[in-house]
Amino acid sequence: MKVLTVEGISKRYGTVQALDGVSLRVEEGSVYGVLGPNGSGKTTLLSIILDVLSADAGQYRWFEAPGSPEVRKKIGALLETPNFYHYLPGTDNLRITHTISGRGSLEEIDRVLDTVSLTERKYSRFSTYSLGMKQRLAIAGTLLGSPPVLVMDEPTNGLDPVGIAEIRSLIGELRKKGHTIIVASHLLDEVEKICTHVAILKKGKVLVEGPVEEVLSDEDQVELKAANMDALAGLLAHFPGVVRVSRQDNLLLAHFAKGNANLEALNRSCFEQGISLAHLVLKKKKLEERFFELTGNTSHA
Amino acid sequence: MLNLLRTEWLKIRKYWAFWGVMILTALSYPGINYLFYDQYLNITKKGSDAAEIAKMLLGNPFLFPETFHTIGYFSSIFVFIPAIVIIMLITNEYAYKTNRQNIIDGWSRNQFLAGKLLDVVIVSVLVTFLYVVVALIIGYVATPTPMKGAWSKSYYIGLFALQTFAQLSFAFLVGFLLRRAFVALSVFVFYFLILENLFVNLLKEKAHDEGRFLPLEIADRLIPVPAFLGRFNEASYQAKLDAVGPHVGYTFVVILLIWGSCYWINQKRDL
Repeated sequence: MKVLTVEGISKRYGTVQALDGVSLRVEEGSVYGVLGPNGSGKTTLLSIILDVLSADAGQYRWFEAPGSPEVRKKIGALLETPNFYHYLPGTDNLRITHTISGRGSLEEIDRVLDTVSLTERKYSRFSTYSLGMKQRLAIAGTLLGSPPVLVMDEPTNGLDPVGIAEIRSLIGELRKKGHTIIVASHLLDEVEKICTHVAILKKGKVLVEGPVEEVLSDEDQVELKAANMDALAGLLAHFPGVVRVSRQDNLLLAHFAKGNANLEALNRSCFEQGISLAHLVLKKKKLEERFFELTGNTSHA
Repeated sequence: MLNLLRTEWLKIRKYWAFWGVMILTALSYPGINYLFYDQYLNITKKGSDAAEIAKMLLGNPFLFPETFHTIGYFSSIFVFIPAIVIIMLITNEYAYKTNRQNIIDGWSRNQFLAGKLLDVVIVSVLVTFLYVVVALIIGYVATPTPMKGAWSKSYYIGLFALQTFAQLSFAFLVGFLLRRAFVALSVFVFYFLILENLFVNLLKEKAHDEGRFLPLEIADRLIPVPAFLGRFNEASYQAKLDAVGPHVGYTFVVILLIWGSCYWINQKRDL
C-alpha cells in the first residue's frame, strides 16, 4: 500500500522556484529519506504534504486519499522546529497534541516522555528547555498514540551524539514495528544507516529517487592493488566491461556498468597475465559520495 | 466544539500573562466606576446650593435602571485592556508557530479559527459578566429603596456584550493580520485611543459624520453617553438614542465582515 503519493508538486516564493514538479511515492513500512542541500525544498515539500503550505500545482495523497485533517491525525509530525507553547510545561504541551489529534492518552504522555528521556523535566516550562530537550519533546509529540506514519524534519537537530544514536535506534525500532517514517535530514551518514528509500532534491527538483541500494549503486566500482600497478592499469584498460580506470591513493579503481563487475573473472585474468593481486574488493558507494555527485556540491571531507 | 473548548482551555489555564491582564480588567472595571460614583457622591453630598444644583442637573446616574447605562458607558472605555489579551492569544500562536502545529496535529484551518473565535466569545462573556456585577453592586448601593422598573434598562447588558464582542473581534483582526504582538498592540492602542477618535471628530466637523461607520465607532454608538450628560443637548442625545437600533445592525455587519475576512485569509494564506 502506498502511504504517500506526491505528483508534480510545484511551489514558488516570488522569484524563487522552491519546488518544481516533485513526484515521489512512499510505500508502507519504509523509512524514506528526503535529502538535499539547504534551500533544495525539503521543508517546503514536507510543509505542503502537512497542509501548512499550499502548492501552486500538483497534488498529494495520503493512504490513497486526498490530504485532510482526519488523515493528519494519523501522522506524527515534527516540521522544521519544535512548535510548542513556551509558557506551558512539556506535559501540558503534549496534552494539547493529544486533544487536537486524538492520538494516545494522558497515561501515554508519560510513556513517550520517558522514551525521549524527558521525565525529570516534564513539569518544566518549554521555554526553560535546552535545544536538545525541545527537540526531544517534539519527537515525543510525534510518537504519541503510536501513529502509523511519522514525518520528521531534521529530527536530530540540536541533539548530542548520544541523542542522535538514540533517535537512530528509535527509528529502527519503529520501522520493525511497521511504522512508515519520512525523514528529511542533512546528516547523510545517518540517513544511509536508517533509510530504506531516499529522494535527493536540488533546487526544487528530484534528482533521483528509490531504494537506497539502487540510488547508491549507479555503477560497480572495484578496488585493486598489485605490486606492479602500471601492468595492472594496462590490463584493466582493456578488460571487458570496464568503463574507466581511476587512481585512489595507492589503489586502482575500475568502474563497470551497474551489475557488470565479475571479480572472479577479473582475478583469473590478472593471474593469467602474471599479476598477483594484493587487494580486490567490490566497493560500495557511500551515500555522501553519491549525494555530492548528484547535487554537484563539493565535499567538506 | 467541546474539543475546541478543552484545547483552548489548556492553552490559557497556565498562561499567567492572560490571568494577569484579566485581573487588571477585573480591577479596572469596578475601580473606574467606583471613582465616578465616588466623585458624584462628593459633588452632591456637600449640602451646599451648588451641590443641590448639581443633583438637579445630574440626577443620580447610578440609580436603577440608569446604572446599566452609566456603568456600561464608563466600562466600555476600558475595552482595550481585554483587547490586549485577545491580541496576545492570537499573536502567541504565530510567535510559537503553534498555529502550524495545531494544523499538523489534525485541526482544520477552520477549527483553528473557531478556537480563536471561542476565545473572543469567552473573554467577551467574562467582561460582560464583570460589567453586570459592577452595575448591580453600584446600583444596589446607590438605590435607597427597591423600585419598579429596576431592570427596564437591562437591555444595555446585551448592547454591552455586542459592543465588547465587536471591538474585541477588531482587536483579534489586528493581531491576526499583523502577527507580531508588539506591532499589533501598538497599532491597536494607537488606533483605539487616537486615530479613530481623530477621524470621527474630523468627519463630524468637516463632513456628514461618516466616522460613525468606522469599525470601533460603529459599536461605540451602541452605548451613548449617560443620560445626565445628554441633558446639555437634549435633541442631540435623543438622536444618539435613536441611532442605537441601526447601529445594532451595523455592528452585526462589522462582526460578519471581520470574521468573514479572517476566514477567507486563513484559507488562503500559508502558515
